[in-house]
Amino acid sequence: MRGIVILLVAALGIGGVFTALLVYAMRRGQFDDLDDPPQRMLRDD
Amino acid sequence: MPVEAGQDGSVSARLVVEGLRCASCVWVTEKVLERTEGVRSATVSYASGRATLHWDPARTDLGALARRIAALGYRPRPLEGATAPDRGLMVRMALAAIGALAIMGLYEGLYAGWWYGGMDPAFAALFRWTSLAIATPVALWCATPFYAGALTGLRHRVLHMDLPVALGVAVLYVHGLVSTLRQQDAYLDSMTMLVALLLAGRLLEARGRRRAAEAATTLASTVPRTARRALGDRVETVPVESLVPGDLIDVGAGEEIAADGVATEGSGQVRMALLTGESEPILLGPGARVVAGAVLLDGALTVRVEAVGEATLVHRMASALESAGDTRARPTAADRIAPWFTAATLAVAGVTFVAVLALVSAEEAIARTVAVLVVACPCALALAQPLGSAAGLGAAARRGVLLRSTDAFLGLNDVTLVALDKTGTITAGEPSVTGADDPHLRIAAGLERYSSHPIARAIVAEAARRDIPLPRAGEVREQAGVGIEGVVDGRRWRLRSGGPGVVTLLDDRGGAAEIRLGDAARADARATVAELRARGLRVVLLTGDHAEIARRIAGEAGIEEVIAGADPETKRARIRGFQDVGERVLFAGDGLNDGPALAAADVGLAMGRGAASSVLVADGIVSDEALGPVVSAFRSARVAARVARFNHLQSLAYNLVTVAAAVAGLVTPLVAAVLMPVSSAVVIWTSLRVEPAVRRLER
Repeated sequence: MRGIVILLVAALGIGGVFTALLVYAMRRGQFDDLDDPPQRMLRDD
Repeated sequence: MPVEAGQDGSVSARLVVEGLRCASCVWVTEKVLERTEGVRSATVSYASGRATLHWDPARTDLGALARRIAALGYRPRPLEGATAPDRGLMVRMALAAIGALAIMGLYEGLYAGWWYGGMDPAFAALFRWTSLAIATPVALWCATPFYAGALTGLRHRVLHMDLPVALGVAVLYVHGLVSTLRQQDAYLDSMTMLVALLLAGRLLEARGRRRAAEAATTLASTVPRTARRALGDRVETVPVESLVPGDLIDVGAGEEIAADGVATEGSGQVRMALLTGESEPILLGPGARVVAGAVLLDGALTVRVEAVGEATLVHRMASALESAGDTRARPTAADRIAPWFTAATLAVAGVTFVAVLALVSAEEAIARTVAVLVVACPCALALAQPLGSAAGLGAAARRGVLLRSTDAFLGLNDVTLVALDKTGTITAGEPSVTGADDPHLRIAAGLERYSSHPIARAIVAEAARRDIPLPRAGEVREQAGVGIEGVVDGRRWRLRSGGPGVVTLLDDRGGAAEIRLGDAARADARATVAELRARGLRVVLLTGDHAEIARRIAGEAGIEEVIAGADPETKRARIRGFQDVGERVLFAGDGLNDGPALAAADVGLAMGRGAASSVLVADGIVSDEALGPVVSAFRSARVAARVARFNHLQSLAYNLVTVAAAVAGLVTPLVAAVLMPVSSAVVIWTSLRVEPAVRRLER
């Protein structure tokens, strides 16, 4: 029982950290436009 | 915020409304605004998320109207600035999806324990409580768009798909809460997955819509951001916004003119294709009027600025045509089914409760009623439309047609008549060589290879087509509006305009040869027209050109019906005339003069290289330099409509079966966990099959 509880808490904790990072990136606008930035480096201006 | 006064004492303004997630949102917003006291009219564009309001200033004001929109849960903003994507929706979707994955893992454990037996109740309780902890934010926060939509709909008595969805999610969550407290199995895995899928559907739809709207704006916004301002003997580069009327700006060859004004010095050929759709440049000198967005092909001009930014002709025209193009979004088929669906579900649940209470027991009655409400969640029904349309729109976009709304896209299926403009639609809109002998074409191409004039490009392209190697010309001198001259093979040649559609090549011994140019049908025009007719569509050539030219091009493209000599108003009237006799019209055109016809047609398609004005008013854009994409759009629309219809039917049939099973008391959490995603999975799978199905039709 104790093992499972520790594992569960650890898994949720790690998952939570990465979810928080993902949400942070989304709120910063990292996923707003996935098509344009890869092409922008090819333009001159 | 710009507010304009009208003649009758009313005022108008345009806003961007953020957070419009579906056609129903648009519908609700319009209805609510129109019912507000003092509002004369309100139009909300689904494609661009923009609202046009007319109101009586004595009875209400813009602040009150903005608050009214905000009270519906949307965010009104001034029109300036780019459209930001809905980040909130994205975060909700991500959290719901991650929650669904975590809960699915926990439930697998629970189901395994139930299947093999002998699971320690303490473990089961731990798993259930953890699931509840993860499911709570999903139900209470991620799903709020559905609750908000349903509440708004209820408050304003406009029922749509959000209502049964919100009801389903709420029932699943409350059932999960109670079951966890009572140490029983719940449906929280199904609940979180439904929320994640529905949010993903909305996100996809919003993304497709935003991309098409952006494509239209980008095509239209070719006015440069900076200009070179001349101050005495100095020139400085400044942002366009800082220009004021009276400033002098320098424009060099190949540049776009940044503001409306009058040329004061210099000369050059200016191409106004952005405004007129005509590719033929005009030679301008001091005293001539120029407009922002026009391109100076050669020479140099100094322009005295008269209008900048919003005051320029291209901007005023764009906003006028754009508001004319704001179409009202109709509720989708699913939205129309939704109230009946909800009523039927509640009725069945009520009857089940009473019947089982009378025949069996109170406890069983509650269990079965809950089961009915749980399995009746219309996830697949709500997903069918956005996923099917998004897949269809994507398939059309990959083939060169960007459509701005699902309405216009699905409207393609009702089209019975295709009216095509000539210049720029059936033809490329640029001259091409129709008559020249090889030796003279070679010399002409050698001279013209250094020029960017449309005629020069046509001559060089023809030489390339005939595999003629280009000679190298020396001492080339191009004189704007006169011609080009230079030395090829040791002799001096001059190329001069020889009247409409003819250029003359003169040598140094008095010899002359003619090169004829004209507009020719696009390479794929004939095949496209044949395919349109094979689909049972009536094809008509609708052009402002003379009957003779129109007949020649129609002959090349294989069109029998020709309406020539039509001015913009006649084009519109002809389309209205077709509509009056019951035809559903698709019109494809590219020029400024096509605006009214594009707006009047049931589906208007603008050619991407055409005038910005036509791009803004159209329902969609053909982004490739070809006519063939029009046929692809028809194919994609047919497949998408078939998929959406199939999915509506299969999800309704599915709901009938599962509700019947729930009434009979056959649905357990495990059965639900297996059954509930099946219908949604079918919707997703069929939507993924849209692209291959379109490809199959192309063979």
